Amino acid sequence: MADERLPVPGIDTSRSFTFTFDGRDVTAHPGDTIGSALAANGVTTLTRSFKYHRPRGLLCVAGRCPNCLVNVDGVPSVRSCTEPAVEGMVVASQNAWPSLRFDLVSLADRFDRFLPIGFYYKVFHRPRFLWPFFEHMLRQVAGLGVVDTSVVPDRVERTRNLHADVAVIGGGPAGCLAALEAAAAGARVVLVDDGPELGGHFRLTSAAVRGDDRLTGLDGIAAAVRLRELVAEQPGITALTRTTAFGIYEGGLVGANEGRIVHRIRARRIVLATGAAERPALFDGNDLPGIMLGSGVLRLARLFGVRAGKRAVVVTDGPWGWRCAADLLDAGVSVMAIADAREVANTGVDEALRGRLADAGVEQLTDTTVLGARGRGRVSRLRLGTPGGERTLATDLVAMCLRPEPVVALAAQAGAGRRYDAALGVTVAEAPPEDVLLAGHVQGSDDLATVLASAIVAGRRAAREAGAAGAADQAAAERALAEAAAAAPAPVAAVPTSLATGGRKRFVCVCEDVTVKELELGVYEGFDDLETMKRYSTTTMGPCQGKMCHSLAAGVQAELTGRSRGEVGHTTSRPPYHPVSLGALAGPHLDPVRYTAMHERHAALDPTWVDMGDWKRPLIYTSVAEECRAVRERVGLIDVSTLGKLDVRGPDAGAYLDWLHPNRFSDLRMGRVRYRAMTDEAGIVLDDGTVARLGPDRFFVTTGTGTLDAVDQWMRWWLAGSGRDVSITNTTGELAAMNLAGPQARATLAKVTDADVSKAAMPYLAAAEVLIAGVPATILRIGFVGELGYEIHVPADYGTHVWDALMAAGAEFGIAPFGVEAQRILRLEKQHLIVSQDTDALSGPIESGLGWLVKADKDDFVGRAAVAFAAASGARPNLIGFEAPGRPVPHEGAGIVREGQLIGRVTSAKWSPHLGKTIGMAWMTHGPFDTGTPIVIRHDDDRTVTATLQAKPFYDPDGVRLRA
Amino acid sequence: MSFLLACPICGPRDVYEFRFGGEVLRRPAPDAAEEEWTAYRYLRSNPARAGREWWFHRLGCRRWFQAERDATENRVIATWWAGEGPTGAETGARDSGRPGGDGG
Repeated sequence: MADERLPVPGIDTSRSFTFTFDGRDVTAHPGDTIGSALAANGVTTLTRSFKYHRPRGLLCVAGRCPNCLVNVDGVPSVRSCTEPAVEGMVVASQNAWPSLRFDLVSLADRFDRFLPIGFYYKVFHRPRFLWPFFEHMLRQVAGLGVVDTSVVPDRVERTRNLHADVAVIGGGPAGCLAALEAAAAGARVVLVDDGPELGGHFRLTSAAVRGDDRLTGLDGIAAAVRLRELVAEQPGITALTRTTAFGIYEGGLVGANEGRIVHRIRARRIVLATGAAERPALFDGNDLPGIMLGSGVLRLARLFGVRAGKRAVVVTDGPWGWRCAADLLDAGVSVMAIADAREVANTGVDEALRGRLADAGVEQLTDTTVLGARGRGRVSRLRLGTPGGERTLATDLVAMCLRPEPVVALAAQAGAGRRYDAALGVTVAEAPPEDVLLAGHVQGSDDLATVLASAIVAGRRAAREAGAAGAADQAAAERALAEAAAAAPAPVAAVPTSLATGGRKRFVCVCEDVTVKELELGVYEGFDDLETMKRYSTTTMGPCQGKMCHSLAAGVQAELTGRSRGEVGHTTSRPPYHPVSLGALAGPHLDPVRYTAMHERHAALDPTWVDMGDWKRPLIYTSVAEECRAVRERVGLIDVSTLGKLDVRGPDAGAYLDWLHPNRFSDLRMGRVRYRAMTDEAGIVLDDGTVARLGPDRFFVTTGTGTLDAVDQWMRWWLAGSGRDVSITNTTGELAAMNLAGPQARATLAKVTDADVSKAAMPYLAAAEVLIAGVPATILRIGFVGELGYEIHVPADYGTHVWDALMAAGAEFGIAPFGVEAQRILRLEKQHLIVSQDTDALSGPIESGLGWLVKADKDDFVGRAAVAFAAASGARPNLIGFEAPGRPVPHEGAGIVREGQLIGRVTSAKWSPHLGKTIGMAWMTHGPFDTGTPIVIRHDDDRTVTATLQAKPFYDPDGVRLRA
Repeated sequence: MSFLLACPICGPRDVYEFRFGGEVLRRPAPDAAEEEWTAYRYLRSNPARAGREWWFHRLGCRRWFQAERDATENRVIATWWAGEGPTGAETGARDSGRPGGDGG
């Protein structure tokens, strides 16, 4: 049943290719969309509807309605009317089971009386125990399309940031002219249009254009071409086509979606030239395939060369329908009749146009109402109420050409007013906020000269307000607009929505399958407000987001409640104006990873890795037991480059560090390092690390791996405006760090440095700047793992060099690299706490066993009042070690119970291969806290672990080895 | 939220580049009553009108500054360096709220 294509410039019929639709081959030409190719191949049903599974076919052919959603290569709910056809693509219909033609759920259509509005609230909640069954069934039937979760997320989503003086939304005649005017004045312009090319409705009409010198004398199609040329010649305009502006946000931000790309367009001024669009007419059976918007029929013919039917009937309420009929004839579509709701005298159509239609054999029916449409799978008959009685026309195509309605949703989002204009019978946008301007039909007038003049005014004004230098004559543009508006013919009066024709299948909302009947019941049940009706019926909440149904629903609501359309108002307009895939909104799947300078050395040993923030760290190289043994008995080396490192310097640096900590650093001697723990104003421990004094005004501060950013911000905050002469530099990335630890650490280090590393010259808690393997290094003699140890910081570029030198020097002593897991065990053997693992958001220094840090003689420091209050309230150390002779090792977080009461919680627990027992730390809220107190840990539901408290370190309790 | 905030160094930038630092508060005297300290730590006025706030340019110059913002419409009235003030009005109250200025 495939039809000859009409010759159109956008379709290259000399070449063809195929794709499949529900397994069947479909022939397409370059330039086709999926929808146009299917239409050309005679496929009229593309999907089934949301609730009743009624057959649905092309309606708008502009990507605005829900009627052509298909699954393309596994991606659900793709709009086939705008999605370019690609050779070999696999297209499948949605919402049909077992097949598009024989859909069993469509039986619901016959039993609609049992599926009233809100039916699942009403029907399925009793008996309660059956709800899981009903829910499963409803989820099978409801919804649109199926997401294939097996599809591997691709990495092609992109976010693009664009900056403009003026963003123009809408690439029709008004948008193009506004963009041209703004760019001519020197503004950087971004022009956004959802269609495949600029030109808007000009692309569809053969009507003569008037009102602007650049276009006068051309017909619509030629004018569209001229506009595209003018925009292309203007270097100040960045034009984005196939790009839908879906939201207007604060700060002049426009969100626009182009396939998998989300553009974030930041503009000083936004011109909304969103134009006007048709919506469906209301009559029984108005959703049948073959019943389309007039502009949709024209798009198929003009842009794709496809005749949507052979015997078209145009249904209209004004001259726009007569114009559409003429355009259809010009495009090669045969029109059988036009049915206008007006009386003949009021059609607003000139004699010439009527004469043309008469010559073409188009029957002209005026004062005529559509009563209903019938057909199996496609419209075949249209029933009309004429002054002479009821008529039935045999037809296969109904073009609905009601008055185009201003597209006001984005304007409303941006904060403009919406006003129902009773004379026009449509809602218009007005009074936009100061950074938004309106251009063209969106303001109400459909007079072309007025539309174009208003666009010139808006474009010039936007450029000037955005700061563009070029002087355009604003006053002249304003005068021209006033003249055009005065000269415009009086608008054709509106024909109100009528519910008099009756019928069970008058669809208001084709997305959610809501009919007039259901809205009647909703109003009867008390939902007389448009917003509550929207939520109850889900009208306007489907994929079209109100584009097809909002004004219909409001009109029906007005009729049903006996109020004026103005009183009924509008529902709130929110982003997204158009559905955007979550993947596009989420942006690229970027998952940054940070490697330390020595990463390749680790990778060569193929360790297991652990993620710490963005960092990758070796968890275990060989075995935990072997790595622990190397550190305890010989010497080990661990990469600690992920430690946060801050260079804090300036005359006030010492006093400033005193202010930030419970302990003191202004008295720290040169060449010494001191433990630090920081509290906030609530006396909570935020972070710990070390401070080394490397010069009179120069301190080297280390932080935890994960707390660096927070500590950096915290320190800068207290500095801001304090008047202190201190500067803070984050040197984390520029320094590599490693910890050399074990009884042979000194002997190893001595081999790669000329500096005196003897105990006398570099005792415990010494800090020094020396050359190691020829590289300037900062050495801190500290021992997180409880052995003689050196934390060595070197420029990151030399990290591998120093690592290699130390590994080579330590070879004779049996040096081994050790990972994070061994370090965790070794530190636990010493009961060295990890802030935020062994402490939490309520842990103060005294409770954390860090009370020795708090210098009571300090005047003030951040958190002093809170720590003093805690001390006065009897705070005591709650973090206490425990040990158990065997396994299992209790879970970290496991509760400690006594007589059914929770008295504490395990914060850390490990098996110590060196000690041959389970060791850990617990946050004990109830005493006794003495060493030797037995505790019972709930390991899991079935097992408990019995342990005893041990307040002193399990290993080297007196720190002899540490200070060696 | 997508409003613009003018960093005193970097100029107007998307709010996503910044970290919100809360209301500008007055730090109590060290020997103030515990009730006063508790209010300073935990109680916020969150006014439905213009208020003075701390902001940190996290993805930019990493400097803290202050802003006057109307939270009901996300209108940023002014930004300034802590201690300087936009016009000199009420700087006394803000300066005594300078966190680092009181001790150490």
